[in-house]
Amino acid sequence: MEAIGHAGTCLGIIAEDGVLLAAERRNVHKLLDEGYFSDKIYKLHDNMACSVAGITSDANVLTNELRLIAQRYSLQYQEPIPCEQLVSWLCDIKQAYTQYGGLRPFGVSILYMGWDKHYGFQLYQSDPSGNYGGWKATCIGNNSSAAISMLKQEYKSEGVKLAEAMKLAVKVLSKSLDITKLTHEKVELATLTRDGNSCKITIMTATDVQKLIDEYEADEAKASAEKKEKEKASKS
Amino acid sequence: MSIMSYNGGDVIAMMGKNCVAIACDRRFGIQAQTVSTDFDKIFEMGPKLFVGLPGLATDTQTVAQRLKFRLNLYTLRENRAMKPKTFMSVVSNLLYEKRFGPYFIEPVVAGLDPKTNEPFICSLDLIGCPMVTDDFVVSGTASEQMYGMCESLWQPDLGPDDLFETISQALMNAVDRDATSGWGAKVYVIEADKVTIKTLKARMD
Repeated sequence: MEAIGHAGTCLGIIAEDGVLLAAERRNVHKLLDEGYFSDKIYKLHDNMACSVAGITSDANVLTNELRLIAQRYSLQYQEPIPCEQLVSWLCDIKQAYTQYGGLRPFGVSILYMGWDKHYGFQLYQSDPSGNYGGWKATCIGNNSSAAISMLKQEYKSEGVKLAEAMKLAVKVLSKSLDITKLTHEKVELATLTRDGNSCKITIMTATDVQKLIDEYEADEAKASAEKKEKEKASKS
Repeated sequence: MSIMSYNGGDVIAMMGKNCVAIACDRRFGIQAQTVSTDFDKIFEMGPKLFVGLPGLATDTQTVAQRLKFRLNLYTLRENRAMKPKTFMSVVSNLLYEKRFGPYFIEPVVAGLDPKTNEPFICSLDLIGCPMVTDDFVVSGTASEQMYGMCESLWQPDLGPDDLFETISQALMNAVDRDATSGWGAKVYVIEADKVTIKTLKARMD
């Protein structure tokens, strides 16, 4: 749990027409080789993706297992696995490591986003103990409590579209991250939407992420300029 | 009665110029009785990768599902589409695992390389022996007839439209000479930018 508290922030938000996951990329080191595309957000199946916070090696083992579980279900029942079942299956495995064997638990918290025909868009969070819960918006990792309190204030459960939710995600991330300025290299954003009869998981490109960040900063600058105007007006 | 001819069915794949075509008949029968006329034996495994599985119908379905399983895991882990040649190895491996109690299908793989769009066709026997060719591959109950038709009709470097005509004529005339094949055909022409699927109405008997 300690390791997770220091790990890169991940947050998830459900909107009317989709779910999104945003993650802070910690490894932005000049010397690091940018081999792969996404290092915090993983696609699990056509209808589910997840983002992890904690010990990366543990996360790799778990995401692999999640993918296998989803495929086995799909092979047996010839339909995509319902979200809660996948989460609960993995959590049963995580729990076993806390009770039997003398092995240490997996030091990872996972945020899952998915769609199924039973409950629509869903967001789940699981922790090393094997507990899981369904959320409308939540955050794990570094400064997650600050982010969660911000989400509590700003999140509207009715009538929020994905575009608004993305703006909210950028806002919460920029306020709760340690770094001074938000750039597209530090943030990974993925969305899950329904396109007709199938799910679409998109990992946003660097340019799109940068556009969102720029929009947010423009809004912020406008808001603080307006505030200053008001203060000046009230003083004089 | 051979188990490979219990349900009946055929698949052909042909190589063209920067394209491949794969076609199958649509009959599902139990020996002499025709049960369904929309049983396709070709499955899409990737945007430009198709596999045809003629033979015992239950194995057609099971193998298609198991192949999709392996292919999905590969795609998720490696974050890229599988090359047709690699897919051929996956099929071969899956079939040889059942060396002494095999799946009764003789698959045909057709596709384009995801990056270079190089065309690729191959066929395998029921225990996984792969055979890559650069002209055509056939498999099914009317294989002798199909070999004859393809050998006469095929020429190298056919364009997509000509390839469609050639493969359609080869398949339709071959299956007309086989009692347990036919009842329509489905032809997939796979090019770099699109896949065209056409359903043919043949002799419905």
